Amino acid sequence: MLFTELVFWAFFAVVAVLYVVLPHRAQNRMLLVASYVFYGAWDWRFLSLILLSTAVDYVVGLRMHTAPQGVQRRRLLGISLAVNLGMLGVFKYFGFFVESFQSLLGTVGYVADPFVLSIVLPVGISFYTFQTLSYTIDIYRRDMAPTRDFFDFALFVAFFPQLVAGPIERARTLLPNITQPRQLSWDNLRRGAVLCLFGLIKKVVIADGIAPSVDAVYASPDPARLDVILATWLFAIQIYCDFSGYTDIARGVAKMLGFGLMRNFAQPYFATNPQEFWRRWHISLSTWLRDYLYVSLGGNRGGAGRTYRNLMLTMTLGGLWHGAAWNFILWGLYQGGALALHRTLTGRHAHRGEGGRRSAGHWIGQVLKIALFFQVVCYGWLLFRATSFAQIVDFTQRIFSGPAGITLPSPPFAVFPALLLLLVWDVLVERSGDVAFYAKWPTVIRAGLYAGMIYLLAFGATTQTSAFIYFQF
Amino acid sequence: MKRTATILCLTLGLLALLDFGVGQVLGWAERSGRLGSLVQYFEYGRSVPGKLARWQDRPGTPGNLMDVAWRPEMIARSAVEFEAEAPTTQPVIRGYGMSFVNNILQSAATQDPGLILDLHSGPAAPPNFTYALFEEDRDNRRAGDVAVLGILSSSVPAMGALSNSTWMFEQPAPFTYPVYYLEENGLRRVEPLVSSQDSFHALRLDPATRAAWQDQLKSEDHFHALATFGVPSLDASPFVRLARRSLATSHVQSTQQDILRSGAYPYGEVLRRMVVTFAQTARSDRQRPVIFLIQTRDATDADLLEILKPVLEAQDIPYLATVEHFDPRDPSGFLGDGHYKPQIDQRFARAFVDLITP
Repeated sequence: MLFTELVFWAFFAVVAVLYVVLPHRAQNRMLLVASYVFYGAWDWRFLSLILLSTAVDYVVGLRMHTAPQGVQRRRLLGISLAVNLGMLGVFKYFGFFVESFQSLLGTVGYVADPFVLSIVLPVGISFYTFQTLSYTIDIYRRDMAPTRDFFDFALFVAFFPQLVAGPIERARTLLPNITQPRQLSWDNLRRGAVLCLFGLIKKVVIADGIAPSVDAVYASPDPARLDVILATWLFAIQIYCDFSGYTDIARGVAKMLGFGLMRNFAQPYFATNPQEFWRRWHISLSTWLRDYLYVSLGGNRGGAGRTYRNLMLTMTLGGLWHGAAWNFILWGLYQGGALALHRTLTGRHAHRGEGGRRSAGHWIGQVLKIALFFQVVCYGWLLFRATSFAQIVDFTQRIFSGPAGITLPSPPFAVFPALLLLLVWDVLVERSGDVAFYAKWPTVIRAGLYAGMIYLLAFGATTQTSAFIYFQF
Repeated sequence: MKRTATILCLTLGLLALLDFGVGQVLGWAERSGRLGSLVQYFEYGRSVPGKLARWQDRPGTPGNLMDVAWRPEMIARSAVEFEAEAPTTQPVIRGYGMSFVNNILQSAATQDPGLILDLHSGPAAPPNFTYALFEEDRDNRRAGDVAVLGILSSSVPAMGALSNSTWMFEQPAPFTYPVYYLEENGLRRVEPLVSSQDSFHALRLDPATRAAWQDQLKSEDHFHALATFGVPSLDASPFVRLARRSLATSHVQSTQQDILRSGAYPYGEVLRRMVVTFAQTARSDRQRPVIFLIQTRDATDADLLEILKPVLEAQDIPYLATVEHFDPRDPSGFLGDGHYKPQIDQRFARAFVDLITP
């Protein structure tokens, strides 16, 4: 059941009607059932993994809270880590490590017996395991108390809008939203609907419109130089619109139900350096990695050498989180390297956030920096999108010395006005620092904007739709 | 609530106004012959009955496919041309395919001007069309001829369709063809109720046959759907046309995936039996069978060589598989409309000439 399919919106309509008529506790139970139905639409069998993770972390959380000694608490945390990371290891990484080990043995002359186990990757497993881990780690750190209501906790793990592709919520913020009665408001309904509409435009019109052009070049055995460059630029736009489009719809749906999910993207391509990029891109993952991995490794306490080691480790594991393939590890190393290099060259910089008032000259300089740093990001996307190490080498060579000409299929016309809308929208959010900047506009102008957006969605929704890229992670 | 209701009403009102404005602009553009591609973009979303009605009312409309590829008319023309051929005519290449096959054979004729071509084709013709055409044109071939059967990878899912009008939503040429089902060791042929150009045009005046034809499409054609055929009156709104195009495209794609992935129609086995029967028929008439396996650029298409190579080799049936001469993942070999570039067709043509040269 995809957000881009009518069946999802029919499902949501039923959920919304029941939600409105039910009292708070019953709302939560109904949302839990709906979340399991939503997930079960992919594969009912894998609900058992969610239930296992839920049960283990619920019990671990309660026991840990009452356990007085550090050893017992550590042991309980170990159980939570073993179960959640064990599930990830088996379902996501087992095949990859076996194959890599066999290849390694092959290079030194041993021929290992082929051992191939075909394991289906349960959709969203990386997202919900990280979400439940944040719960047990926060209790371990005494940052929060566990919830006693099993069903509320189960809803925290499986809440359908963000179950399969995030944002990876923290228990500290989402659980209170579940346990406390929520206010349904017309304002939330309006803002949620606008988020859904904008998310659908990003996904259906832009990402799905661009996808065939990118796919054609990345499947081509002999692309031209410009093909590789343009396809990689387009992939940067595709993955942003695909993933942030999903997040917008997830946040919009949740908002209409009275939940506040965190922002996952803050105009990432306006970043001028790697540090800023990771404050703007996939924020729920980057802050998770920072809080639970980088800090646990020691963060920047312990000298420059340890800081760089921790940075590289965090980003490499962050790369591996995306998938069991060498190109994701390489991408993580590349991002870690970029962060380390930036830190070496500039030290720690003050955060350049949204909404600052700056001069025109400042903005021209910024645009140049943004354009330059975008190329650095794009090379990372080439590593990310490539289908093999050989393709990474080949495409890198082609960027500098590939044949002339261009064979990249042109995206549909609707992509271009949608891209213009996205650019203007992101610039306005960046300048105002307000994601709901349009709410201050006169009613007629706003209604005109919404009508135009609906028309644009219909205009561009004629291309082939595909699953969200981040579902595979 | 009042504010939300105001915004909702205003949005819907402005959407209707915008839709009306777009409709006016499109009407003006169509009358004045301007903005052709934009007009066409919106036309693609018209319902199938809506498109067919416009084609019937305006025969001169560019892209009108109303009268193309009707088999009885094609066979009748073929018979006349065959009659006109001198009995001493040297072996003729009789092609049963689509534009891809025509392009390769025409390129072969350029390379070897001695080749005589007799081409029978339909737009994006599925294998059930080309195979039926081959069967029905049997009297119009003679011993020594080369019979070429074209199989296009992108049209394989349409083996579960009775007409291009149900699965080619944007260009619903109404010509029809049978659907083949497995039966013991052979194939059972289910005929469409409407098989000729005349019988199709007569539907307008014959509601009973029209209803029967609709019923047959609903029951026998895997692609027929409300999204593509229902409520043509909504075609008046450009916005609804856009929405319909999206729904229809999605429906056709998901039906194709159903056929290719979940075996909603046993296309692989039907194809294998088709090529074997094709070769047996041609050989029994002392003709030389050749199969063209045309792989298009869509990576999700059926892999024709994988499906058919074992049976083609086991039965020693000559074939030209485009994938063996050009990698279809390479976009540099394709024109914008998805056809192969002439230089790639030349490559295939050389391979074909080598194949038929003793």
